[in-house]
Amino acid sequence: MPPTPVTDDLDTAGFFAAAARGRLAVCRCARCDTVLHAPVGYCRACGAFDVTWTEVAPTGRVYSYSVVTHQVHPDFPTPYTLLLIELDDLPQVRLVGRIDGRADVHVGRSVVAEFPPADEAPLADEALALPAWRLA
Amino acid sequence: MPTDASHRDRCAVAGIGATDYSRNSGRSDLTLAVQATLAACADAGLDPQQIDGIVRSDMDTVRPNDLAHALGIPELTFWGETGPGGTAPPAMLGLAVGAILSGQATTVLCFRELNGRSGRRYGLGAGGAELVGGGGTYDEFFVPNGLTTPGQIFALMAQRHAHEFGTQPEHLGRIALACRERANANPAAQMHDRTLTMADYLASRPIAEPLRLFDFCLETDGAAAVIVTSTERARDLRRPPVLIRAVAQASIPDPQPGVQFPVLLRESITSLPAQAVARTLYRRAGLGPEDVDVAQLYDCFTITVLMQLEDWGFCKKGEGGPFVESGAIDAGGALPINTGGGHLSEGYIHGMNHVLEGVRQIRGESTSQVPGAENCLVTATPLPPGSALILGKA
Repeated sequence: MPPTPVTDDLDTAGFFAAAARGRLAVCRCARCDTVLHAPVGYCRACGAFDVTWTEVAPTGRVYSYSVVTHQVHPDFPTPYTLLLIELDDLPQVRLVGRIDGRADVHVGRSVVAEFPPADEAPLADEALALPAWRLA
Repeated sequence: MPTDASHRDRCAVAGIGATDYSRNSGRSDLTLAVQATLAACADAGLDPQQIDGIVRSDMDTVRPNDLAHALGIPELTFWGETGPGGTAPPAMLGLAVGAILSGQATTVLCFRELNGRSGRRYGLGAGGAELVGGGGTYDEFFVPNGLTTPGQIFALMAQRHAHEFGTQPEHLGRIALACRERANANPAAQMHDRTLTMADYLASRPIAEPLRLFDFCLETDGAAAVIVTSTERARDLRRPPVLIRAVAQASIPDPQPGVQFPVLLRESITSLPAQAVARTLYRRAGLGPEDVDVAQLYDCFTITVLMQLEDWGFCKKGEGGPFVESGAIDAGGALPINTGGGHLSEGYIHGMNHVLEGVRQIRGESTSQVPGAENCLVTATPLPPGSALILGKA
């Protein structure tokens, strides 16, 4: 099984809580709306300690990519295509996706995130759901 | 009130030492560190018991008191640590300079040791951990999606660099070949006996496209050490002092948390924190890129070198490919690099063997000596915030 993310970190848990509901969310300052990614509990723009998670469209574009052909991690069989994605709504937010095999991608290619239905989530932690990116 | 030039030329490297570089040392980290330290002391003409300060890197296992115990150092008055990992070595010398100029120590050892092939292999990255992330690493956003190694990070950077600037595999190949050719002249290099052609390079197997086998540095067992003291004191020691013209660290506000993966969130992933280090270092040294005769550029991957050539001002952003294609980094070029073979072909002592090679250049003792070299840039500006220094002739 691929590695499981820590989902209860105080600064990043909101992302995984939203994903468990089938939503993509980003961390923002609750006072001045500055996007905080990587997520932090303090806003460098206005000094607020009040941050919130807001939903964004689960769509984006490929900012960069790599077809991984040399297997290093035992749980990620090669080849697979790593995607570095910038969100359509907030291009300054980048997330990583993975597509099995050699995907037909290029920089700028549109992608969309899907969320596994709750009944397909791992039994050990039914709250866990990760966005699965695929070509749009 | 300190000025930019407060430490300029006031401290020097008095001695250097290294173990052999291999794939399986068969020795403990501590034994490797002791061997490199003894070699550096012998080079400087110092008794190890005269060491009163030690600086380590956060990714090594040997602690300053471990070395003091093993070597019988009677009394350490200063020790310190910096990192992360490969960004440490020039900054380690910076800590030594600070300790010496503030009177906290007179003779400071800076060392790296790693069984990087037979022991902990950095290239495996996140490895097989079952639960990842948290605690400010942000690994939870990367590793569960299959981004697990440093090589994959740099592959994404290389792909983006190719997209923005048209950088070709042959450009990266020129960097691999330059390092290999210098290693072929250096009997201490792991790749001393193995030649590499562009055809070999292009035919090597892909690892994480667009990067292939020879874009990756070696995994190495070994240790390297330097002794820093005041320039005044160094003049009385066995070897002519190699001046530390200046040293600099820099971080940037653009997201740089964690150790490696979050660098992919930076506004531009085709630049490294090197740009910020360069500004500070050149100012402190009173020098510019045109004054650098030879450079040891951190080369965990070929693309790391290409981006640094741009970030350090040797060519414009995006022109790293044509710059290396011109022969500039080769022997006899405008900026010979990694003259011992670098991490790509000498060994990967996580930045420290670059410091040693820089000292050899200023002493005139490199196996690929740049005639009349007076200033050598040594960088450790790969992923996170970085550091660098300029070594110079007395």
